[in-house]
Amino acid sequence: MTERSPALFLLLAAPSRLFGRLIPILVALLLVGVANLPISFTGGLLPAPALALAAIWYWALARPSLMPPYAVLLIGLVEDLLSGGPPGLWATGFLAGYVLIDRQRKTLLEVNGAGNVVSFTGVMVVAAAGAYAVASAIYLRLLPIGPLLLETIITVILYPLLQPVLHFADRNITRLVRSAG
Amino acid sequence: MVRAGWKWTRGRGTKQLPILICAVIAVGAAVAGRTHAVFFDSARAALSDWSAPALSGLRAPLTAMQSWTGSVAGIFTVYSENAQLRQENAELHKWQQVALSLEDRLRRYQQLLNAVPDEKTPFITARVIGESSRPFVRTMILNAGTANQVRKGQAVVDQRGLLGRIYVSGENTSWVILLTDLNSRVPVVIEPSHRRAILAGDNTPAPQLELDVGEGPIRSGDRVLSTGDGGLLPPDLPVGVVTGNGENARVVLFATAASADAVNILDYRVPEPPVPADPATAVPAKTSSSATSPAVAAVPPDSRESPPEEPDR
Repeated sequence: MTERSPALFLLLAAPSRLFGRLIPILVALLLVGVANLPISFTGGLLPAPALALAAIWYWALARPSLMPPYAVLLIGLVEDLLSGGPPGLWATGFLAGYVLIDRQRKTLLEVNGAGNVVSFTGVMVVAAAGAYAVASAIYLRLLPIGPLLLETIITVILYPLLQPVLHFADRNITRLVRSAG
Repeated sequence: MVRAGWKWTRGRGTKQLPILICAVIAVGAAVAGRTHAVFFDSARAALSDWSAPALSGLRAPLTAMQSWTGSVAGIFTVYSENAQLRQENAELHKWQQVALSLEDRLRRYQQLLNAVPDEKTPFITARVIGESSRPFVRTMILNAGTANQVRKGQAVVDQRGLLGRIYVSGENTSWVILLTDLNSRVPVVIEPSHRRAILAGDNTPAPQLELDVGEGPIRSGDRVLSTGDGGLLPPDLPVGVVTGNGENARVVLFATAASADAVNILDYRVPEPPVPADPATAVPAKTSSSATSPAVAAVPPDSRESPPEEPDR
């Protein structure tokens, strides 16, 4: 049986490791795509949720090196592009939420269960406030806050349902990165 | 055990720099989106063109499911709806006779006055392949684009009335800014007072009426029609009915995106201004109309290609 050379092993392992490290961003972009599927399950009555924020929250806390601010900016810009809204809106909102996570990481890592959902709600409110501020500045008037509140509530309700998906993706990151070396 | 507390930890300068750079880029994108909207609109159009087959495929089963669940839900209300429809049908028969009689009378008056008949607006029929309902934007995606002569600014209607206007047009898809969207501003006239107003979307289901010209009273139930002012939309398209009174009036729209499936994109063009007579062949006419001709001549022949009011995107 021939022994595998270290150089070949590294060459084969590199894509796997890279894919593992890109999983958080890819999952967040996938959630942007799902949230912005141009199909309304409620006949347009309820706004689409900001699902990508759940992925940003999860990995900005658990693996901050895999969710840098540049990735958050990219996710926000893609959200703006797909939603049809003005660019920079959710990019700013997500970054505002990211700053809160970044500054309160130690505290946020200690909360579990319902506290986790409450903390996510806080981050979502900050992100929504950031987006609202930019939108009001763009349109030069105070916009109705009702639809944004509704989006915040829907996102928070859906967050616990997304947690198992994010856990599953996170386990795969560990597996891929470890298997690669 | 670590004590839990809500502390604002101050990051070091080098750690804060990437966040600061990203924040500047995000705000810069917001500003650029205002000043260079074409770039972002082109990206959106390209994206919707690329994903159009997938969107059509995704929407078909959902529409079927919505239709099925609607049918099931309808079973429980079929009796009361049937009784209501019978009553409405009887009333509509009466109004149909009145309308036919008035249509005939109008035709005779037009013949007597030798009036210019209304031109029929050509249209393109398209299917809705997507809709977006976000806090700051309400749009719809159609499966027709520049390849089908769809242009920015064209009116989109269904069988009930005006839905919105095209604001981004890709090769095979186009995005519609709905009347309920924050950016939507449409000139309308309120009947029977003939008062003019701007219908301003604010992301609520019933857009606001910003009263503009005229003195007549506005009452709940008054009809709202498009005016054609600005040459962008054809006049007399049904829009909705007024709810509320006076300055707080809003409009309940006839057509809503949620129930729109196939729509018409109206290729409306402002009628051509009269061509000034050829000076070589009509010298007497030139001298007699010299006082009025400059106003007509000031309208460029291709003015219809650049409508004065564009969607604010």
